[in-house]
Amino acid sequence: MSDEIVLRVKDLYKRYGDRIVLKRVSFEIRKGEVKAIMGPSGTGKTTLLKCIDMLVKPDSGRIWLEDLELTDPRIDIGEARKKIGLVFQEFNLFHHLTAIKNVMIGLTKVKKLPKDEARSIAERALLKVHIDRELWDKYPAQLSGGQKQRIAIARALAMEPMIMLYDEPTSALDPQLTGEVLEVIKELAEDGMTSLIVTHEVGFASEIADEIMIMMDGKIIERGDPRKVIHNPRREETRRFFSKILKIGDES
Amino acid sequence: MSFWEEFLSKLSLGTLITLQLLTITIPLSVILGILIGILRVYGGRIGKTLANLYVYIFRGFPLLVTLMIMFFGLADIGIRLTPYWAAALAIIICSSAYQSEYVKMSILSIDEGQSLAAKSLGMKRSTEIFYIILPQALRVALPGIGNEIIYMILYSSLAYIVGVNEIFSAAISVNSIWFKPTEVFLVTASIYLAMTTMASYGLKKLEHRLWIPGFETRRKS
Repeated sequence: MSDEIVLRVKDLYKRYGDRIVLKRVSFEIRKGEVKAIMGPSGTGKTTLLKCIDMLVKPDSGRIWLEDLELTDPRIDIGEARKKIGLVFQEFNLFHHLTAIKNVMIGLTKVKKLPKDEARSIAERALLKVHIDRELWDKYPAQLSGGQKQRIAIARALAMEPMIMLYDEPTSALDPQLTGEVLEVIKELAEDGMTSLIVTHEVGFASEIADEIMIMMDGKIIERGDPRKVIHNPRREETRRFFSKILKIGDES
Repeated sequence: MSFWEEFLSKLSLGTLITLQLLTITIPLSVILGILIGILRVYGGRIGKTLANLYVYIFRGFPLLVTLMIMFFGLADIGIRLTPYWAAALAIIICSSAYQSEYVKMSILSIDEGQSLAAKSLGMKRSTEIFYIILPQALRVALPGIGNEIIYMILYSSLAYIVGVNEIFSAAISVNSIWFKPTEVFLVTASIYLAMTTMASYGLKKLEHRLWIPGFETRRKS
């Protein structure tokens, strides 16, 4: 981890009608750092990630990707999004494209790379997420959820992003498939991929995150070292949140 | 000339003209229908309003009336179209209005996640529409578009009203001389049936070729 700040979010504020989803959220992520965001459903975690990729426009507050201000309306947002890898809860693979074409299309249509170069980058990205050659020409409907999510990770990864954002990457998966996806995210993080992960997997978060941020009602109410936040939180709400999910939850 | 000689020679000429008419109207109305459908979803305020107005008007006019407007109405303001081109234009306009409805609905049926994923990769709106949304939407729309094509084959008979010598008009003229409606219209009907059968077969083939796993449920309908 270096001191170089990759992502800086400052006073992010978003409301839908009279419901305030993000109440002045601020944080930074340095190069190589892994941060996890946890908290009850409907507390603005997904909105936060969408705001960072400018898929949702924040009402106020600013976001920088290194020196580039994403919230500056004059920038080419497509250029900026190329550098941010976003992985969705519902995978969102392109249904009409095979696994490898899903990974290639950003390279050929956005980065304008020649086809053979795009293909070799896509192949490497797929191997990196442990998708073997025999699955490359399958369509999303022929793949398991875990395979789909790993391909979605490869699709984001192939663009060589400066940061990966994961929005509850295993929430839509059967429990026996979450492991393979978490393993890939972990490997990438260990390789130095700067990551921001929204997750409900306590064990996973405590294992790979440098810091956990607890989000409730649109605010980050607590942040710090995973073990401390999980086992010895300062706030009563955090304690209640963890006791609830650890009780319902599994061996983690 | 015997009845059958005259009938069959006129009918084959009529069939040729009908096929000619369809060769122009089918591709153009499909293309126009797709463009209008796209405009109705992505056209912005002006594009949407204009496209919706177009559909509102031409889906609300009977094809027969549109045909009259193209032939007599336009002639009144100095635009003289031959019967053939008036008919072609009327069919294209009317059918594209219907086609656009299928295209619009199919675009709207593509889930939001596809668009978000495209944007998150940095795709421009146009790239997203042409490489992500339309390839899926048009597969969904294909059965509907195919249905319209079948209608178009049948509705081409209305060209008779402005004096295009297509199949139906050949049948009418032969029947008025020989008055053998049973023979004339049974044979005429079977030619239309043959054309729609071929079209259905072609469309099935096309659907099969464009088939992708995961689009099964839509294909069955």
